[in-house]
Amino acid sequence: MSKKGDMLYAWTNDAEIQKKAELGGAVTAIWKYALESKAVDAVFAVTKGVDLYDAVPVLIRDPKDLPKTAGSLHCGTLLMAKLVKKYMDGARDMKIGVTVKGCDAMAFYELAKRKQINLDNIVMIGVNCGGSVSPVVARKMIADKYGVDPETVHKEEIDKGQFIIEYEGGHKGISVDELEEAGYGRRSNCRRCKMKIPRQADLACGNWGVIGPKAGKATFVEVCSEKGAALLDGAVKKGVLATEAANPKGLEIRGKVEGAMFKLGDKWRKHDFEALGEGKDRLKKIMTETSRCIKCYQCIEVCPICYCVDCTTKNPTFVPPGELPVNFMFHLIRYSHIADSCVNCGQCEEVCAAEIPNALFMHAQQVELEKMFGHIPGVDMELPLMAYAEEKEERQRLHNTGSDMIYENVFNPVPKK
Amino acid sequence: MEDINSDLKYTPTTCPYCGVGCGLNLVSKGNTLVGVEPYKRSPINEGKLCPKGATCWETVQKPGRLTTPLIKKGDKFEEASWDEAIDLITKKFSEVHKQGGPKALGFHTSCRTVNEDCYALQKWARVAFQTNNVDNCARICHGPSVAGLSLSFGSGAATNTFEDVLNSDLIVMWGSNAVEAHPLAGRRVMQAKQKGIPIVVVDPRLSPTARLADKWIRFTPSTHIALANNMMYYIIKEGLEDKEYIKERTKGFEDLKKTVEKYADATNIHGVPQETVQEFARQYANAKNAVIIYCLGITELTTGTDNVRSMGNLALLTGNVGRPGVGVNPLRGQNNVQGACDMGAYPNVFSGYQAVAVPENRAKMEKAWGMKAGSLPDWYGVTLTEQITQCGDPIKAMYILGLNPVVSYPDSNHVRRSLEKLDFLVIQDIYWTESCEYADVVLPGTCFAEKDGTFTSGERRVNRVRKAVDGPGESKYDWEIIGMLAKKMGLSGFDWKTAKDVWDDMRSVTPGQFGVTYEKMEKPESVHWPCPTIEHPGTPILHVGKFAAADGKGTMFGLEYHPPAEVADAEYPYTLMTGRCIFHYHTRTQTDRSPTLHNDVPENYMQINTLDAKELGIRPYEKVKVTSRRGESIAVARVTDDVAPKVLYMPMHFVHGANDLTNTALDPLSKMPELKHCAVKVEKITEA
Repeated sequence: MSKKGDMLYAWTNDAEIQKKAELGGAVTAIWKYALESKAVDAVFAVTKGVDLYDAVPVLIRDPKDLPKTAGSLHCGTLLMAKLVKKYMDGARDMKIGVTVKGCDAMAFYELAKRKQINLDNIVMIGVNCGGSVSPVVARKMIADKYGVDPETVHKEEIDKGQFIIEYEGGHKGISVDELEEAGYGRRSNCRRCKMKIPRQADLACGNWGVIGPKAGKATFVEVCSEKGAALLDGAVKKGVLATEAANPKGLEIRGKVEGAMFKLGDKWRKHDFEALGEGKDRLKKIMTETSRCIKCYQCIEVCPICYCVDCTTKNPTFVPPGELPVNFMFHLIRYSHIADSCVNCGQCEEVCAAEIPNALFMHAQQVELEKMFGHIPGVDMELPLMAYAEEKEERQRLHNTGSDMIYENVFNPVPKK
Repeated sequence: MEDINSDLKYTPTTCPYCGVGCGLNLVSKGNTLVGVEPYKRSPINEGKLCPKGATCWETVQKPGRLTTPLIKKGDKFEEASWDEAIDLITKKFSEVHKQGGPKALGFHTSCRTVNEDCYALQKWARVAFQTNNVDNCARICHGPSVAGLSLSFGSGAATNTFEDVLNSDLIVMWGSNAVEAHPLAGRRVMQAKQKGIPIVVVDPRLSPTARLADKWIRFTPSTHIALANNMMYYIIKEGLEDKEYIKERTKGFEDLKKTVEKYADATNIHGVPQETVQEFARQYANAKNAVIIYCLGITELTTGTDNVRSMGNLALLTGNVGRPGVGVNPLRGQNNVQGACDMGAYPNVFSGYQAVAVPENRAKMEKAWGMKAGSLPDWYGVTLTEQITQCGDPIKAMYILGLNPVVSYPDSNHVRRSLEKLDFLVIQDIYWTESCEYADVVLPGTCFAEKDGTFTSGERRVNRVRKAVDGPGESKYDWEIIGMLAKKMGLSGFDWKTAKDVWDDMRSVTPGQFGVTYEKMEKPESVHWPCPTIEHPGTPILHVGKFAAADGKGTMFGLEYHPPAEVADAEYPYTLMTGRCIFHYHTRTQTDRSPTLHNDVPENYMQINTLDAKELGIRPYEKVKVTSRRGESIAVARVTDDVAPKVLYMPMHFVHGANDLTNTALDPLSKMPELKHCAVKVEKITEA
């Protein structure tokens, strides 16, 4: 029987999965078991769309469809948690297994805190993530820096600090540092990220620390919850998964890799935040950059912290409607509502049509707020400071109407008009 | 078997709004659309969207969609079967054709619908009725670009891609508010600015695009030619023209030179100080690679074609056509305005701009379409707004696919009066529009989310449109409806089963697009036409080494400035300019059904200068009455210095809005009406 804190090597015995999967196929095998045993109703994972630069989310109910979600796609810059809220009723009525990166895991917790996701119905398998690359940037990078036609690439991976591609006629690796110096490489939020092994998931999996005869043939699994332990044991018992204790040396190496990633994250934080300046200079920079905003509302749409039925940015008292340039209050509203809980998932920046470094601005503020108040978003169910603030008017309204509905939530939806 | 996508399906497709052609994912559960998610794999927009693209799904499955054919009986529209509607239409159209000949019929197709629909409609008009009275709404946006750029360069399309501005050393935005009208092309300009590429915006109004500029040049509305000639005067005077390029690749220099000599100082016309003109002229001529991006500020005037040719003149004089980072690029307004023209829904050309006047072209089409030799007409058909004027005489029956002329054509009152004169009007659309009131039969088509097909964007990239959900009720694919009409008439060659069949029909008669196959459109990079063979990679940049004109040369023209047809006077002392705002699309048939967009701009508004507002006693956001010689409109006043004194700006989207005021005077070369300029007066609304 495994328990929280166990460190294992795991691989599958399932012949079908072995054919497709990487690193022993442990994650795919566990999901297969979860579906077959009805531990989950569906698995929400990512599959390849038109090519390996195109990550498409799929909700899978039939275990036979699982192999096509196998393997990693570093161009997959999706945020799974917000999709569960938007398109799956926040897992209100359905048990969903999700493969998560660090930012996905953090987003699940933030949405769960806000009663937008029912975490009891979510099983998370976390995967180590050194960062992801936006698809179009990846293609340009492969054409410009590798001199390779991106159409001919059939595999990409990030290993030992290199972004490596395999293509018709060879393979080639270039250090991520070098690529990023040249303006390519990972998304800027990924560079600053320090959530490399998502331990708030039920199981944290990856290839870091798999050494010896199992190198490349097994997945490192850290058991992070009772739910995770039960799932793992069930899969082993069913015979789809095999495990052995992780090599202690491997464990050490895994720690070193994570440590090196933290250091790199700190380096980028220093680099990015210092460039913002401080105080009035920083405000001026933010005001100048956000003045390009075209009010597409997509930063709000994709944000794992945003969930209000009526967004304050649409309230004419605060933001005059229908006008460009947008009143700066639009952005101030976002900062005041989100900054304490920003998980630096980068979505707001990636979808910004006006090239505003939204994630950088928000993350910079979150880091300052964390210093002041000690609240760390995305790691547990602890509420942010603002949640404890008393709002007299709101209380009065609730009192007057006899309702407890400040916001719609998955347990208690507002009846559809 | 359970469909694995019934829970959640992503359908990568192309945005139905402007001509940038952004990719997006429609998200559906079963047959219900539930959202739009970024398509980050698209090289065009990398997952980024504007307010309209992001909400395009909201308007698809809303109440008010047409779900069954409707036939007017007496004063009322009654639901009818497809058989009944098809019978009636073919009977009426055949009767009118028999009595009045091919010129008694008119066909309008939309630049909003897929290429396949546009090709189908023009093919039916030409095969069934031997008429060239077929046009599309490019006529009222970029008709002058097609005419002007064809004269200057030999091809009426944009020369370079949107992203190519990042290879420039100077970006000139002239009469283009891309940030609002083409936001994701505007984004490329924002990226260019971040790269340090200087941006000059030439616009009478401090638009959101002008705010990006390193240099904003405000000039008197509609004086483009005077300003361009004034610039070229300096370029030639200071010897900054590209002499080698002019010699090798162009003709007409002497003609141009002679004309611009008269514009040594045209400040009295365009209002820009001579130092600014001179400095701008030097900057443009000296830039290694300079690109001009223009839009409807240039085209929607009675001098539209000449304005476009003036942009061509500037580029040819300085050698700025035919390589990366340069060119003259019209930002095409609608998602498929390039395509509707490419498909031959045009009164003087077949698909791929094959002139109807050329006997070999007619013979080739007659053979391909199985027609009797000599049956296709050689005459220049009647254009869009001229067809409106001809309603009643000689045009008796009209077919309108996806347009709302009562709101979008100039002088709405004139349009209403004209449509009433028709014996028979068919409107095929997705919603009941203001124009449907004037129809005899209304047919339910399908929108972008409900059909397969293609849109050709402003950079000549043919983008795939993919079906995500079924259309409502008994609606049908629009090309399918045309096919039913043709088959009912006993015509062959309309037996298409899929959108791809229609596309392949078009490809087989269109040399420039023969190589643009559905297979090659699978990836979002797709193909830029011209692409004459299957092996051909497509042509992102036109006129490399040689112009598309028959003699291979670019042509410069000596062009004189002419004032607009109607200018401000004592009775109508204000100049009214019109345009778009970012939150709405055209007549709002779709965008106003999006709660998000409606919330931002629920009603008509007008920008008025602070001094004028003060003089008239108008407070911000007060409703005012605006009157022209043709009609009046009520608008919320936005008091701002973004417009100059005595100049007003009104978006074109609203019923009883800008187009109740606009002028129908036409550009003689392209038949573009003067939508951008008319004289009005402004009054406070006094309470009764």
